Amino acid sequence: MSDMDIELDVEAEVEKRFSILVCIDGSEESYSGLRYAVRMGADNSADLTLLYVRPVDQGLSSGGLQMRVARENMLKWGVELPGTKALKKGRDMLVEMGFMADDWKEQVVHTDVTGDPLGDNTTVYMNDEGASISLKLLVSPSVDRGILDECEIGGYDITIISMSETAEAKEHAGYISPATTFMVATQHRGTVLVARELEEDHGHFMCVDFSDKAIQAAVKDAQIAARCHCPVHLYSVASNEDELEKAKGVVAKAKAAIEAEGLSIAGESVEIGDPVESIVGKGRKYSLIVLADTSVKGLRRFFTTSVAYEVLQKAANSVMIVR
Amino acid sequence: MQGGTVLGMKFSPRALGLFLHDRRWLIAALIIGTILYFVEPPTGLSREGQIVLIISLVAVILFVTEPVPLPSVALMIIIAQIILLGLDSSKVARSLMSDSVLFIMGSLMLAVAIVKQKLDKRIAYLIVQATGTGIYPICVGISFVCGVLASVIGEHTVAAMMLPVAVTLVTLTSNNPKEVKGLAAVLLFSISYGCAIGGIGTPSGGARNAIMISYWKDFFFDPTNPETRRFLVDYVTWIKYAYPIFLLQLPLVTFILFAVFKPERKTLRRAVAKLRKQIEEQGPMKGRDWAAVGIFLATLVGWVTMSESIGLGTIALMGAVFFLIVGLVPWNDMNSGVNWGVVLLYAATISLGVEMQASGAAEWVATSFLELLGPLNMDHGMPLLAAYTGLTTLVTNTMSAGAAVAVLGPIALRTAELANENPLHLGFITAISSSFAYFTAAAHPAFTIVYASGYLKATDFFKVGWRMAIMSAAVLLLAAKFYWPLLGL
Repeated sequence: MSDMDIELDVEAEVEKRFSILVCIDGSEESYSGLRYAVRMGADNSADLTLLYVRPVDQGLSSGGLQMRVARENMLKWGVELPGTKALKKGRDMLVEMGFMADDWKEQVVHTDVTGDPLGDNTTVYMNDEGASISLKLLVSPSVDRGILDECEIGGYDITIISMSETAEAKEHAGYISPATTFMVATQHRGTVLVARELEEDHGHFMCVDFSDKAIQAAVKDAQIAARCHCPVHLYSVASNEDELEKAKGVVAKAKAAIEAEGLSIAGESVEIGDPVESIVGKGRKYSLIVLADTSVKGLRRFFTTSVAYEVLQKAANSVMIVR
Repeated sequence: MQGGTVLGMKFSPRALGLFLHDRRWLIAALIIGTILYFVEPPTGLSREGQIVLIISLVAVILFVTEPVPLPSVALMIIIAQIILLGLDSSKVARSLMSDSVLFIMGSLMLAVAIVKQKLDKRIAYLIVQATGTGIYPICVGISFVCGVLASVIGEHTVAAMMLPVAVTLVTLTSNNPKEVKGLAAVLLFSISYGCAIGGIGTPSGGARNAIMISYWKDFFFDPTNPETRRFLVDYVTWIKYAYPIFLLQLPLVTFILFAVFKPERKTLRRAVAKLRKQIEEQGPMKGRDWAAVGIFLATLVGWVTMSESIGLGTIALMGAVFFLIVGLVPWNDMNSGVNWGVVLLYAATISLGVEMQASGAAEWVATSFLELLGPLNMDHGMPLLAAYTGLTTLVTNTMSAGAAVAVLGPIALRTAELANENPLHLGFITAISSSFAYFTAAAHPAFTIVYASGYLKATDFFKVGWRMAIMSAAVLLLAAKFYWPLLGL
């Protein structure tokens, strides 16, 4: 086998690796998202990126003295930036959970950023099998913009972002507000898991509607759930008696598609009622409510809504929107 | 940073959506401005005055919501003055540069130069030498030293220098921030509030002070009338008015902080011992350290003795130039440490303030404000001073103190004239109460810097802030009632 063939094989292997982006803001909720990511990336079969976005300082609020001067002075004293502390806590958790070992190779990358001389800083840890964990401290005009840009560039299979309004969460300098989370969940082109009171062992509540996208999303969710050995419950809602058979048919179709991939489901059910209320109520006891993003795209999104976004707003537990 | 404007991305509805979302406040401000532009001016307000007020309103919305880089707001103010008011571009350009703008520029350059000298460890050493290891005396010492330094070199300089001292004391006490929350709060807030109350002490303590001095001169000084010389407020006169107010607040700061937060430790013996060891490793003061102290003291002497003749700004620039000439700080450090856009922003805001006076807008707002206060019997004397203290406190908590004084200053001074009050008194009230921006982490430069440490909660600022605001306002009004009349100006 030539060197080029080996190189192509390695590239293909790298391409195949599942990648997860976990947005960290120092809150307990964001670390519960990290724990779930570890379950999904079991045995280092997935690459993890922990992201902390620091909004760029405009200078007026620090009186015209660049924040950098103060930050540099702190670094000279050996005091770390808040984002660094939050990311290091995430790394320490990964070591404690056995997802990462102390002997992984470390590489630090710094990128200059216009308007913020401290710039973007990334530490990449890699093991001999090619698994990688990245800690990214990025600077951006706003937290939502920074996360969305990273999602766009990184091409992650799934993005995990917390949704928390607790006093504990708000204490953190890099707090990801619900508005930011909603912005990321609605604007991101990929799959987003919104972590809210995320409990790990209660399975996925996969909701399907009458669209083809829902069937594809169900298969994708079953694949994700299989990574963490989570049971999947298929669910559909008919708005009236006439639609009941159709809803049962959709669930059967989704089940067949999942089984065709060599996967299985733990249960299935169909009900008549208001879709949003039914999903939010029934889905409460599961770890995740999973929905396909079947909403309209682009500017029309500003004027219309979809079941997925309404569930995202009303649910008390975690919601995953599959795209 | 990974860019993300609609022009930097492949065009798509998503990119356009993000672009519009980011700029929603800009769009709202421009719509409001456009609507008001086509509305007839109210009685008593000239068309020019109306336009100036519209520009001010749009600028205030943009200052508060920050949908675009703030220096671009400054450029918008300049362009609007030329296009909407029909002013000559050279005249607007001339109005951008004044001694107060030179002062802002010079003091920021000085700030970078001083922070770079690593004198913070020496200052920390002096504090713990004087106070011992008890947490209460250390907090008093930090507030005192921060306040005294901030009164002459600006609060951002002192906060940037002293923040690592407090954070180091916290981390040397415990590695777990949750175990020492109260301790971190009292130490870090001692820096924040020490700086905030100190900044009023002298003209060089903040841009707001220099701006008010320039307004007094521009609006009231007439070289042909010796009576108006009292409006040329020099360094010592300012100190006489404002320094006692700072000193009176000092003991109250620590009292309030300890009433709100309960530090987990009574003594910092171990942390101070470790800090002392770190500091001793630096060895004795070296030649360059003495040179830095010398230039700083010479600048201070210059401000006290020569500010009336050559201006605060010129002396600040001289200090900065000396730091460069002696080689204590490279130009690149100074260049990258100063946010020049902020200088531009202050210049444009001051220029707008001058136009507010010239167009009659200040008079109209002042008259309307007095009419509002009249039925409450607050349009004269102490009640009027109290009303301006409240108004300025409210405004300064939404934007920078300098911008608040630049916008409110002309209105306050015109109000004083209309109400037959002393413009010096109302000017001092406005300038000093503009430092009562205590409610949020972004309200004061020192707060922003200290908050960046990650040890404080955003809500903590309000918890302490409202108590501090009441205390500071009470001290200011008591000084205005009983102390200022004794000064005879």
